[in-house]
Amino acid sequence: MNKLIIASAGSGKTRFVVNDAIDKASQGISVLITTFTEACEQEIRDRIVEKVGCIPEKIFVQTWFSFLISHGVKPYQGSLFAFDVRGLFLVNGQSALYSKESDISKHYFTDRKYIYSDKLAKLTVKCNQASDGKVFDRISRCFKQIYVDEIQDLAGYDLEVLDCLFKSNADVLLVGDPRQATYATHNSRKNKKYVKSEIVNFFEDSKLDIETDITSLTINHRCFGSICNLSNKLYPALPQATSGNNKVTGHDGIFALPVEHVSEYLSRFIPTQLRDSVKTPVSDDFEVLNFGKSKGLTLDRVVIYPSAPMVGWLKNNDAELTQAARAKLYVALTRARHSVAIVLKASDLKKVNGIEVYSPK
Amino acid sequence: MVINKVVIQNFKGFKDKFILNLNDGLNIIVGDNEAGKSTILEAINLALTGLYNGRYLHNELSQYLFNEPLVKEYIGSLATAKPQHPPSILIELHISGGGEISFMEGDGNSEKIAGCGLSLKIEFNEDFRGAYETLIKGGDVTTIPIEYYHVVWKTFARESITARSIPLKSAFIDSSSIRHQNGSDIYIGKIIKELLSPDELVSVSQSHRKMKEHFMADEAIEAINKKIGDASKISAKEVRISVELSSKNAWESSLTTYLDDIPFHFIGRGEQSIVKTNLALAHNKAQEANIILIEEPENHLSHTKLNQLIKTVKDSCTNKQIIVTTHSSFVANKLGLGDLILLNNKKTIKLNELSAGTKSFFEKIAGYDTLRLMLCTKAILVEGDSDELVVQKAYQVQNNGKLPIEDCIEVISVGVSFLRFLEIADKLKISVCVVTDNDGNVAALEHKYESYLGINKKGNINICYDKVVDEGNLKIGKKDFNYNTLEPKLLKENGLDVLNKILGVNYAQVDDLHIYMRNNKTDCALQVFETKEAINYPQYILDCIK
Repeated sequence: MNKLIIASAGSGKTRFVVNDAIDKASQGISVLITTFTEACEQEIRDRIVEKVGCIPEKIFVQTWFSFLISHGVKPYQGSLFAFDVRGLFLVNGQSALYSKESDISKHYFTDRKYIYSDKLAKLTVKCNQASDGKVFDRISRCFKQIYVDEIQDLAGYDLEVLDCLFKSNADVLLVGDPRQATYATHNSRKNKKYVKSEIVNFFEDSKLDIETDITSLTINHRCFGSICNLSNKLYPALPQATSGNNKVTGHDGIFALPVEHVSEYLSRFIPTQLRDSVKTPVSDDFEVLNFGKSKGLTLDRVVIYPSAPMVGWLKNNDAELTQAARAKLYVALTRARHSVAIVLKASDLKKVNGIEVYSPK
Repeated sequence: MVINKVVIQNFKGFKDKFILNLNDGLNIIVGDNEAGKSTILEAINLALTGLYNGRYLHNELSQYLFNEPLVKEYIGSLATAKPQHPPSILIELHISGGGEISFMEGDGNSEKIAGCGLSLKIEFNEDFRGAYETLIKGGDVTTIPIEYYHVVWKTFARESITARSIPLKSAFIDSSSIRHQNGSDIYIGKIIKELLSPDELVSVSQSHRKMKEHFMADEAIEAINKKIGDASKISAKEVRISVELSSKNAWESSLTTYLDDIPFHFIGRGEQSIVKTNLALAHNKAQEANIILIEEPENHLSHTKLNQLIKTVKDSCTNKQIIVTTHSSFVANKLGLGDLILLNNKKTIKLNELSAGTKSFFEKIAGYDTLRLMLCTKAILVEGDSDELVVQKAYQVQNNGKLPIEDCIEVISVGVSFLRFLEIADKLKISVCVVTDNDGNVAALEHKYESYLGINKKGNINICYDKVVDEGNLKIGKKDFNYNTLEPKLLKENGLDVLNKILGVNYAQVDDLHIYMRNNKTDCALQVFETKEAINYPQYILDCIK
């Protein structure tokens, strides 16, 4: 039975996966949990250890890329190429654009035989075809239950891989949040219309037996009420989450943080700084993460350095904001349990309606 | 879980790719010395455990693991215009059956076909290309550059594995035992370890640790340490004696197995083999199927003990795969010739198409020299001892005094079981001559051997018998004397005088000599064998030694 669970940030998707996997493993079922980022993979491992003390023998946790290399390509590469796959070569955009598809070693690999990340899923599908379906047949016998977390990050040929997984004998449980689609695994032309937050459509369109659940996880256990409410406004068309965090610490909710008070604020609350890219100037004395990298994490307090379009949206919720920027802002907002402080210039402070301006005591 | 197929290349005696298909239950590997029987067991054990001679292969890499002619070829090629790439060793195990083996599926094997299994390669490490280039440019390479080699141990899915992650466990029972420094046998340690559950293993190592800690806390030891500490001004740091606690499997090397208060390695070799085998056979962890490799169980064992051992082995082969090498016909017959794999010239022949009757015949009457037949280049089958002696003598006379065995020709007494032996010879394409009496009824004889005569004649099988039926009036009691056995035929060929002289008797009547020879068959044959007189042999004897 295949199932897709769509739920907002902080609603316990990963917790659900971890609990279900531990339960299945204790019945002797071998399970695979795969997720897109290494941070999420580590988070999943940590949560399993927190719960049962160790990673049970029957639970396998791998990132999506490492899963594709070890179970998608390597087992049945024989009829396509003979050399050893040395590892993964991360590419943004499209690799080896002018190579012939039939030239396996040029099209899919660097000179040192590292596989291009954007073509990994494509090669998996190709190995499966060349071996007459043995790749997924094998996978379904290695793992009776497969969990794919952060499903919104998959795109293009990854979806073909999912398609094959659905058709296999393994049970597949997908969890994800279209709101958090900050990046796609690659920018392939295939299945372009499904990329990013539209991914849900892929499942609705396909004739596959997949049950979509958008209602069972609607409580945001992580974020304080006003944080949850602001993040809801980014995606008014999707089911709205209700906050399940009623803990009061004395500094709770959303704050507009004047630039001149940043260093005082950092020393006082020790928050994690979230920024758009490495180019955004921040304080080097406190922990810092890019928006994309923070996905999947739970933090106590954050300080957000917004990009100009994000500030625009904060001023007017109807203002234009690209899918990627919208997703990043959503991710950034929903990391914090207790408080979010958004760094703003003096001129913008008054224009962000309904957000309390922080002042040092 | 069983091994279906073993592929060995360039390992020790095996130069070209050697493929051995195995039965699910019992496999008996027979072959001449140097045929590679032990190497097969070593290879299987190596690929499953990473151990060679009881030590980790990584630390034991040497040129001597490689096929010697191949090494010479490689070294020779370096001085020529076409230098070869450094050779590599391959051992591949194809595995099938239940349990969690799906993760070993893939086409990462030498044939690139979908399958399940693992491979162990000892090959040149490409990271050392630069160093290797310098080395061969310098010339004067006289050995394999083994320091640039590494062991690559992978499943057919091309994922690295360790002995721990291989679900198939092997126990290697051989008579040469390899020991830890304290004398405890590595294999018996391993077998016992595998009998224990993970929980039990943890408690053993914890008890061992406690024992050491207890030792350290002992008053006497503390007093000694105080003394050392006071006396020594060797270093600014504290000096004390302590037990070594660092290595993770310390207990294995410091605990020894006892049998009735006697350390395992002090009991007889024979008993050691039996205990090892029984322990290995008893090992029955639910999911861990296992493979038992037994090298020449006949060594160190008396006939009765051997019988016991064989019974245990046979009873266990319903749920375990057993691979036995042997030189003993008794072991092979008893375990069942149907499971026999004959290794000859690095090729294998299986005997599994033998008829049920023949298999059970040799199993019940296990004393027959079946292996002598299987391992020779040519055999002459005779009925009894006297025929054997006469045939040997005839051969010796024709071949400048050389006995048949010196030319690798076996003369085997098979009693009345000619057809059973012929069935084996036929399957294995061994050249065989049958020397048989016609007993006065050529038609009956030709009927008996009809599968090997006339239009059914097989190139490798000759039936030699006298087509002439001799008759006479002599009676033994009320029965007619049989003029158509070897002795009367010899007498017919040589006459009374010659035979009287050879046998050292002096009978005046032919009939009396017939009776004497009939009653003293073996003695007469011995005298024929030892005589220096020239003798004429019946034509059918001469036919068989051509």
